[in-house]
Formats: sequence, C-alpha cells, structure tokens
Amino acid sequence: MSVAGGRRTGIIALLVLLAVAPLLALAPAAPGAVRLAGVSLLWWYVGVVAPLLATALALVLLLRDAG
Amino acid sequence: MTALAAVAAWLQPALLAALAFRVTAGEADASWLALGALVAPLVALLAPARRPGATPAVGAAAALAIGVVLAADFLVAGDVATLFGGARWPGVALAALAALAVAAWPRARRLASPALVTALGLLALAPLAVALAAGAPPWTAWPRLALRPTLTFSERSRWVVAGDRFARRTTLRFTEGQRVTALADGVYRVVEHDAAPPTVREWRLAAGDALTLRPGDELSVEAGARVRFEAGRRVPGAPASGVEWADAPARGPDMLPAALGALVTLVGAALVLVPSPRQGAAAAGPLLLLAGVSGALTWGVCAAAAFPDLALGGALPAPLLRLPALVLGAPAGAAVVVLTLGALALLLATAALALRERLAAAASPALELWAALVVVAAAVGMWPLDAWHVLTLGLGVAAAAWAPARLAEGATGAIAGALVGGLTFAALAALPAVAPGGPLWLEALARYPALVAMPLGWLAARALPAAADAGEPVVG
Repeated sequence: MSVAGGRRTGIIALLVLLAVAPLLALAPAAPGAVRLAGVSLLWWYVGVVAPLLATALALVLLLRDAG
Repeated sequence: MTALAAVAAWLQPALLAALAFRVTAGEADASWLALGALVAPLVALLAPARRPGATPAVGAAAALAIGVVLAADFLVAGDVATLFGGARWPGVALAALAALAVAAWPRARRLASPALVTALGLLALAPLAVALAAGAPPWTAWPRLALRPTLTFSERSRWVVAGDRFARRTTLRFTEGQRVTALADGVYRVVEHDAAPPTVREWRLAAGDALTLRPGDELSVEAGARVRFEAGRRVPGAPASGVEWADAPARGPDMLPAALGALVTLVGAALVLVPSPRQGAAAAGPLLLLAGVSGALTWGVCAAAAFPDLALGGALPAPLLRLPALVLGAPAGAAVVVLTLGALALLLATAALALRERLAAAASPALELWAALVVVAAAVGMWPLDAWHVLTLGLGVAAAAWAPARLAEGATGAIAGALVGGLTFAALAALPAVAPGGPLWLEALARYPALVAMPLGWLAARALPAAADAGEPVVG
C-alpha cells in the first residue's frame, strides 16, 4: 500500500476508534456501563483499549513512512 | 518541524488541566473528550502535509484562534494564583511574560523538546506519589471510587478544615441539608424550591455567619467567595455516588449532537494546530500525546477517588495542585505541588512557542503580532471566565475558520472557507443570546458551532477551483 493510502486508512481507523466512544456511552441500554473487573466497558475503552490501539497505529504508520 | 514540536501546541496547560478537572467532576462528556484529546492530534500527525502560505482571511482566523487558546491558558494561570490565595493578575501577568519571553529568546526552540518531555514526566510523578502514599496503585482508584455509596466532604477536605474560594460565579444545588459558613463578607443568593413559585432570598453575610440550606435549595455565590462546608455531607454539584460518577445519569442519546460537536471541534482544531512532522523522532509525538492525556486521566480519577470536592470551586488546576498536599501532607505534598507547577509552566512555555510558530506560518512572523495577541489574551485572562469554555471556543474557531484552508485547492478557496466557516461559527455561537432556551440539539450546536461551521467551510473551500489563483494550497 502506498504511503498516502496507508495514512488514509489509518486516519479512517482512528476516526472509527474515536466514534465508538460516544456510541458506547450514549447508546440505549447503556452498553458502556457494563462492568469488567470492576471498571465499566466505556472506561476500559477510552482509558486503555482505544488509546493503546490509536497510538500503536499512528506509531506504525509514522515509523514506516520515516524509514 | 519535529514530531515533538508538532504536539507541543496541543499539550497545553488548559487542555490537560481541563481533562483532569472534568474527570474529577464526573462530567458526562469526560470519557469521549479524553479519547478525543488523544486521537485528534494523532489524526493530524497522519494527515498529508501542505505547504504553508498566508492570506489575510486565513491569517486573521489563525490569529483569533491562537489568541483565544492562549487566553484559556492564561485563565488557568489566573486560577493557579487564586488557589494560592492571591489575585488573578499575578498569575496571568507571569504567564504572559513567559509567553513573550520564549518567543523572543532564540535558544528557546532548541530547549522545547526536552522541556516538553520533562513537563510530562513531572506531571506523571504526582499520581504515582499519591498512589504510593495511599498504598494502592492508580488503576485500583477507579473501581474503589465507582463502588462508593455517596460522595461526601472528607474531614480532611480543605472545604471543611479551612474553607476554600470559588474561582468563578457558581450556583450549587443541594441534595441534602448542609450548613454553609461564609468566610468573607458578601451577598449569598438562595433559591428555595419547596414551594411554587420558588422563593428567592438574598443574604448579606459577614465572615463567620452561617446559612442553613435544605434539600433542593440552590445557593449562588460570586467569584472569590470563601465558604466552609460540613464534613460527611454530600458535595453539592458533584455526582451523588460512585455509580453516578462512573455512569453519569445525564448520558443518553440526547447528548449525541454535543458529543459529535466536541469531537469535530477537537479533530478540526488539531488539523491546524498540530502540523505533520517533516523530520526526526516520528515516534515521539504519539508517545508524548499518550503520556500527557493518560496522565491527565489518571490525575482526574485519583483526585475524584480521594477528594471528590476538588472540582467544587471551579478552578481547573485545583485537582492538580490541591491533591498532593491533601494526600501526602505538608513537606512532601508541597514539593510535589512545586514540581507540578513547574510542569505547568514548562507546558505553557512549549505551547506558547509552538503556537507562535503556527501563527508565523499562517499570518505573520512579526514579534509585534505575537506580543499584541499575548496582551489581548492576558486582558481576557484577568476575568474569572471558565477556561474550558474559552478553550473550546478557540479550538472551535480553529476548526471552523482555519481548518477549511487545509482542503482548499488555492488561495481563493482558502479565503472562502475561512469566511464561510467563520461567519457560520459566529452566527451559531450567538444563538443563546438571540434565542435563549432552545431545544437540546440547538444548545449543543451553539456550544460546538464547528459541528456545522467546519463542513460548510470545507464545502466553500473545495467549491472554488484553483485555476484562478495559481493553485498554491494555503494552510498555515
């Protein structure tokens, strides 16, 4: 995949990761309120899963393009 | 521009303090704002770079956005001064002098990257110290807090022991009886809702006088008012319990326009404030963003778990500057507070330097322009305004009027985008003044006008072809 194509895909993936947060929080029946190991699904997502995925994705794309 | 310098304009004291504050306060939007504060600049780092250029309209939009964002940082500096018992102006004046000094000092640019790394390292120190003192790691704070049946004033709370000061005009709603002692002369307005229509009483109290509030009462206090609360009572305005802090009852599909507005504002503003890095240390930008935002999130959770009343006074840096002394005690706490203050000062300096570079690229490199913006922002910072609202206003202007230039094929499109986005933003932001009491979606639109203004600006920028103006894209 070209540099521009990879980045475009990366940006779309980041925006999808971002859009999931309000959907989890605001969807009817509050799926984000479900607790896993004492912490709500929403906070697992915005505090751990999405930040790590988003950072890893940006790192991979930036390092690939710099190399 | 390096990746480190690129993210410095984003990791500002106002943004990180606001995130920590909103998490502490249990605000319904804190979760997606925190994620947005991280993902938006990552999107900008990956977005294609454009050659910098300048037109008067884009330059004016950039100057306005940067000035308002800078004012938010100065408001935080003013809040810091009030937290130490002083007036706002020394904090604002020191912050303004720092913003001027780093712009005029030639070596500042070389020191910016290590300063940013140091600042984020120092900011991470306090939650770790607090966790060590509490004997529980930070990741256990969230479940402990979420299980608390009520969020009440601790006996060690500053609001209980010595009383504390409200940073701005505030209205508190009481859900249980509370005796409030005034520690400064002033007018205290109470609205009693036990009868229809509600009874409004204005009490002129001297220091030491007390007011007894009943469940349902509202108390309005002026900026600077100092009061003391009773230990063991619920914190007015805070979530009633840990469950409410974790899952705010206000959350629901009605909030979707506001959530989208906030995220569009963050992404749009990041596209112009965080330029794509062109050289060196590509990995550093995302890692620093992760460290900064995660640090603010951890601060907020630790603060809410220990003292849920830290957000009561409305001063954004209160969770950062009050928590260490309350948990660690006088000598160790004071040392951590000094380090945290140093971190905020370094963040301000690096952000000011980065913002000035953005201004130079979009408008003019003249030091006089930067100095004028700093003076105007400092004047705004003297008022007890809410730094978060001012920051979202600045980011909104950047998203609505400055960001459309990124999509423009040429200077004409950039000017059209700036004008359409800027005017739409102004019209929507003025809605509450023109038509107060509108529906929830209209309120959300007035609060985050970039939700509509940015797409319209982009359409206008793309609609005009490049042929008429040699086709140089204008971003700034």
